[in-house]
Amino acid sequence: MHELGVVIDIVKKVENIARANSLTTIDTLVLQIGELSSMIPRYVESCYPAAVDGTMLEATNLRIEILPAAARCRKCSSVFNPLKHEDCCPHCSAKEADITAGREFMIKEIIAC
Amino acid sequence: MKDFKVIEIKKSVYESNDKEAESLRQELKDQELFLLNLMSSPGSGKTSTVLRTIEALGEEMRIGVLEADLDSSVDAGTVAETGTKVIQLHSGGMCHLDALMTREGIEALGTEGLDLAILENIGNLICTAEYDTGAAKNAMILSVPEGHDKPLKYPIMFSMVDVLLVNKIDAMDFFDFDMSKLTEYVTRLNKDIKIIPISAKTGEGIDQWADWLRNEVKNWKQNK
Repeated sequence: MHELGVVIDIVKKVENIARANSLTTIDTLVLQIGELSSMIPRYVESCYPAAVDGTMLEATNLRIEILPAAARCRKCSSVFNPLKHEDCCPHCSAKEADITAGREFMIKEIIAC
Repeated sequence: MKDFKVIEIKKSVYESNDKEAESLRQELKDQELFLLNLMSSPGSGKTSTVLRTIEALGEEMRIGVLEADLDSSVDAGTVAETGTKVIQLHSGGMCHLDALMTREGIEALGTEGLDLAILENIGNLICTAEYDTGAAKNAMILSVPEGHDKPLKYPIMFSMVDVLLVNKIDAMDFFDFDMSKLTEYVTRLNKDIKIIPISAKTGEGIDQWADWLRNEVKNWKQNK
């Protein structure tokens, strides 16, 4: 459970964005988490109430979108999901691949006024 | 009814840290100070490896050490006994160091006259890998008792480090540790990685590690 410190940091960032855009009420925060990120969505959700306590985001909803993982095979260059295929290329069975997506952790948007 | 709208942000959570790290790296380059970020699980032998490193290189370069821990100054005390410049950083419960905390540590340590600063990161293989500290190079230690399958469990860490020290090789006989399997798993994730087996206890392999580090420090100063 190492999510709390990072979520507190996100809350600060969102507060700064809200102030910079003269927003007074935030309804929803939307985060995007890659399948290969070290942030576990379930834990981000469970520490969210503690992280927003006493901040501008106190009464907000949290929505998390999961971004799928992708890898490119070093032998045949085909792109596949390394989690679904256990790091093994489904086309040529090679085990060497480079991760191209899935490690993201993004603040996507806020719904606010 | 309030007029809510969607405000697109599309920013990586790590973006501000990445920027901070990049500017710290540039400043350290200008000062010709090589910062090594050393990561591992708790108990893999970070501090004893740091001591061996000081022993091997302490006479030819000036070394400073940043010890990061959640609390306490046990490790800093151990390193300070060698007469090396050392500072203890407390991450205040955070399980990683970010570029800002590293900068504060470097400033508190004082960079004047230093050639090499070793950041002993918090014992953790997860989020330490995702926060760029601004270091010139990243190293990690995997100790033999932890097992050769660690790269399968912590792929992010193994894919981002420049060098992997396999520590406690003196204990190889007591564990089912397969070095060739480890090499296979690691190079699958990171084809450019350098793997150096060492024993911080007996000193085996430390000369190879010192050679690597000496060379990197030299390159860092030359390619200004």
